Amino acid sequence: MDPLIYILDIIVFIGIFAIVALSLNLEYGFTGLGNFGKVAFFLIGAYTYALLIETGLHFVLCLIIAAILAGLIGSLISLPALRLREDYLAIVTLAFGEIIRIVVKAEHWIAHGVWGITVPPAIFWEGVSFRMTIASHIGLVFFCLLICFILVQLVTNSPYGRVIRAIREDEVAAATLGKSCFKYKAQVFAIGSALAGLGGALFAQYIGYIEPYMFMPMLTFTVWIMVLVGGPANNWGTLLGAALVQLFIRGAKMVKDYILVPVDPINLQYILLGLLIIFILLYRPGGLLKESQVKTTAVERASQWKKHS
Amino acid sequence: MINWAQVLFNSCVTGSLYLISAVALTLIYGLSRFPNFAHAEFMALGAYVGYFVAEQLGLGFPATFITAFLASGALGVISYKTVFQPLAKHGASIIHLMIASIALGFIIRHAIGEIWGWEPLSFKVAWTSFDVGMVRVSGIWLWLILAALVLAGVLHLMLVKTKIGKAIRGTSSNPELALASGININQVTATTWFISAALAGIAGLFRAAGTRLAPLLGWDILLPTFAVTILGGIGSFYGAIVAAFIIGLVENVGVVILVSLGLSTEYRMAIAFVILILTLLIRPQGLTRMFRGT
Amino acid sequence: MEETLLKITDITKHFGGLCAVDGVSIDVGMESIVGLVGPNGSGKTTLFNVIFGLHKADHGSVYFNNERIDHLAPHQVFTRGMVNAFQIPRLFHQLTTLDNMLLATREHKGDSLLNSLFLRKGWQHQEGELAGKALEILELLELAHLALCPAGELSGGQRKLLEIGRALMADPVLFLLDEPAAGINPILGRKIFEKIEHFRQRGMSFFVIEHRLEILMEFANWIYVMDKGKIVVEGEPAEVVNNPVFYDVYMGEK
Repeated sequence: MDPLIYILDIIVFIGIFAIVALSLNLEYGFTGLGNFGKVAFFLIGAYTYALLIETGLHFVLCLIIAAILAGLIGSLISLPALRLREDYLAIVTLAFGEIIRIVVKAEHWIAHGVWGITVPPAIFWEGVSFRMTIASHIGLVFFCLLICFILVQLVTNSPYGRVIRAIREDEVAAATLGKSCFKYKAQVFAIGSALAGLGGALFAQYIGYIEPYMFMPMLTFTVWIMVLVGGPANNWGTLLGAALVQLFIRGAKMVKDYILVPVDPINLQYILLGLLIIFILLYRPGGLLKESQVKTTAVERASQWKKHS
Repeated sequence: MINWAQVLFNSCVTGSLYLISAVALTLIYGLSRFPNFAHAEFMALGAYVGYFVAEQLGLGFPATFITAFLASGALGVISYKTVFQPLAKHGASIIHLMIASIALGFIIRHAIGEIWGWEPLSFKVAWTSFDVGMVRVSGIWLWLILAALVLAGVLHLMLVKTKIGKAIRGTSSNPELALASGININQVTATTWFISAALAGIAGLFRAAGTRLAPLLGWDILLPTFAVTILGGIGSFYGAIVAAFIIGLVENVGVVILVSLGLSTEYRMAIAFVILILTLLIRPQGLTRMFRGT
Repeated sequence: MEETLLKITDITKHFGGLCAVDGVSIDVGMESIVGLVGPNGSGKTTLFNVIFGLHKADHGSVYFNNERIDHLAPHQVFTRGMVNAFQIPRLFHQLTTLDNMLLATREHKGDSLLNSLFLRKGWQHQEGELAGKALEILELLELAHLALCPAGELSGGQRKLLEIGRALMADPVLFLLDEPAAGINPILGRKIFEKIEHFRQRGMSFFVIEHRLEILMEFANWIYVMDKGKIVVEGEPAEVVNNPVFYDVYMGEK
């Protein structure tokens, strides 16, 4: 197979998963929400897009509606779930992800259950080379990624971003300073779910065919690794983490095709990944890039003060 | 006509499996205070080691069970010493510990996949099925129920009568007091990890013996195991026993109801998850309060 | 005429089998410093937690500015004008000193999600002003040079001061202080109380739990003595100190 195709393919996946990872970074890195049900909203976005595009709706609308629906369901889930302590929240969100997947698998009328559903690509030009097709996907995905990145940067580099960090550090203290912690957590969860839904929709139209086995808890864990490796509470770190993890995972598939290794590279890859995570958790829990600080005019004012004193 | 006797028997079988698995999980969740997702792989390892001994070495079942028990138990202690204890010393949060257990799960699962392959395997032993009245019974299920009862009894005696058992209960309910009383927390914790993982291995072995072996075997039962643990109350040994049979019953009756309603039996798994979510939302402490040492 | 700012009536709170607060009634007047003393475990901090809505009382009522607040959540109590400084500072360690201060702002335009995305000019200006105010308070507490330092890197005494400074940033009407001078050297502790008096003259009221009686004697207008969940003595500092019950309670502890 054409190596360039491999590389372009990896780039698309980096873009898609970067969006999902940014959403988890917002929820966990900045706000401290241990959401282990990311795949649920990814699935909702994917299937919503798949079903809507069949109705002939314009793909931009389909993407937007998929994101909004995922966000709305995220809001609904957050009402009962966010009151739980962190390990319960993790388990509940994990269970929710599995329930959604089982429903889609069992109810064939939704999307053909295990037989899956085909999804036409969003942008399609007749008679164009395969490379150009992937390039157009890269264009679409990275455009969406840019918007998402700007969004999370604006949200986190602001007084709002300060509040959610405070909630992460000490909810009780934040409450005694007048912050309605539940409101903030719910908003963050809704945005995070919407972004994950967008990622899912982009995934569906790129891969062309989706079925329930593509949406296992493993996907959620992969996204968690991206956030941890890159550095929680640093959006650039998340991008880096997404790139590194995707390269690592898909790189193994490339190795399998090109190099003969005595061990199955996929197994080796996951073993190494597991070791890497444990290593990071032990020796560098902050990940590769440090947590980013809130930089507003307040910081400038303080720096000037320092100079004058 | 619904064969309720069969449903009841099946419930006992499911309940027995969940009992072994959930008692193991609840002991460690109550002590180390985080959900251990590597529990799935402790189960898988028990199954595969059992397969190795029974099928590849050709030894009998007693040897199989003992080896699976010891191997999984050893893996539990090693996991504690190399991963969880150091992390706890570094002040890792619950989420970090959870993620570490997931990472550990990757390592074990793919090591198993590398050694035995990812294709499903079967134990070649043919279990005899026979009818007891209206109920179709298989030898393996009877062994499972017996094992569950025996293990529950042994554990009960251990927790109540032995020094280490009382130490485990004390440390679970009040770590500071336990430390002040001179209990060696590290030793208690390591022992609990051994017992938890060893029991998980047995659960995995039974699951594999009754169905098939695949590296993801543990994950099939992991979330229902969490449901049982939480319903019974995290850390509650007796709660886990009761909850195991409740969920076993609800699942099997649920399947009957699903079929009669014309719904897919895929929802069988969802039943336990729904119970789990409802328990956490309505009564997080489960059926009984946190297991308190006397 | 002194109006009652905070009126606590017959508050009772049980924890498990223990009665932490037992029928406590307290009045805190406007522009005053009211002290709450008592041995460890007498229920003082629990009482504070009930007032602030962190715990729900089993019985009794709390009125603040003639509004009943005992059913309110902590963030709602804050909006009524009451601010709280914990005994062991609850700072946001990964955030800077300045961030900690800015978080105490009563109504920050930038706190809303929509504003963080769209109306950035609006709150950027406010941020600059608030920073100015925060830096003034920090200057008063001799912490201004640490404004951009993560709060986690501050020393114990500095953290205490920041905890107080942060609460001052919120322009409280009533300030609940839990042992402001604990764990700090006596000179600094006295300085804190001088600042408290300074703010009292500017219209703030203080309800202070304090162990260092000498300081309270000098600065408090009224003192309540609590023991085993009950109020056993109350009055002006000089009266209280000479009350034999007070002596029993404290000597008993020693």
